[in-house]
Amino acid sequence: MSTGKEILNRLLSSEIKGDLLVLFHKNPGLVDTVEGVARRIGRTQGAVETDLKDLVDLGILRRKRIGKSEAISLNRARDQEIQEIVANHIRSLKMGKGV
Amino acid sequence: MARIQTGIGELDKMLGGGFMEGDAVMVAGSAGTGKTILALQYLVNGITQFGDKGIYVTFEQLPDQIYRDAKNLGWDLREMEAENKLRLICTSPSLFLESGEGEHILDEPIKGVQPRRIVVDPLNHLAMFVEKDDLRKEAYRLIMYLKTKGLSSLVTWESTQMNGEFFSATDIGMSFLVDCVILLRHVEIKSSVRKALVVLKIRGSDHDKRLREFEITSKGIKLAAPFSEYEGIMSGSPRKSITDAFMEAFKKR
Repeated sequence: MSTGKEILNRLLSSEIKGDLLVLFHKNPGLVDTVEGVARRIGRTQGAVETDLKDLVDLGILRRKRIGKSEAISLNRARDQEIQEIVANHIRSLKMGKGV
Repeated sequence: MARIQTGIGELDKMLGGGFMEGDAVMVAGSAGTGKTILALQYLVNGITQFGDKGIYVTFEQLPDQIYRDAKNLGWDLREMEAENKLRLICTSPSLFLESGEGEHILDEPIKGVQPRRIVVDPLNHLAMFVEKDDLRKEAYRLIMYLKTKGLSSLVTWESTQMNGEFFSATDIGMSFLVDCVILLRHVEIKSSVRKALVVLKIRGSDHDKRLREFEITSKGIKLAAPFSEYEGIMSGSPRKSITDAFMEAFKKR
């Protein structure tokens, strides 16, 4: 189980990951291929694969086989959990600093 | 036979009470005629007026834009989704087409939401991923999938024609697959662009065949009176009917 600090560091580790998170948070009903997801943030499949894999490993995104293709979508329940873990971590940092 | 009301009073009257339950409806028109608004209104009114849950499938336009545009019309789609009354799905036509093999991309949302209504906007985006001759076959497969699930579907169809002949051969081929066809189009009258709606067909039911003017208001589509003074609206070259032209000329004297 990752800590809030570890998760936050992973989420902030690349610009592409940030773009993917914004895309899926603004469009929670998006279900697309890796190529389709990449196109929607103006990137190529090769450029997003590593970051997509990391978000899938974290459980925020999930992969599902549809026919011969693999579909990527938001795991709404796990995403909610991660948001709470990150929010708690940020709160604890603020309290530690006396903010 | 149960009817599925659109919730747009005048349109429901034209349809003889609404669409027939379980039917596939096509709303066709060129860009900017109001197809997406009519489709959304069909779903939103279903939820707010008739307790019918719905699913909206889009290919190109991201849900983010749809949430924003709907909000401008007073429809909070995010809240409807949070209440599990609506699901917006955005996907690639290619993934949608692959759904025939194994699990369908709509299986899970249909189980989760238990909708009565569904919108696919626009159906002709599938054309980008299939051979021309296969489009009708794929559209048929999709419509039959939705019918098998017992859903009352509304698909939009973007026509490229701005003037003159409205339906191309492809459009006509597609219209045979659905049970009801509604056309939306721009018409130029006295140097201003107005919008017209006509119900072209409903299988197994009579309907109002008159062309109606409509407006897109802050609350969605609102039908106005029929274009009774004009002829030739569908041709793109409307002119005053002979009687009205005579009356006008008479008044001038």
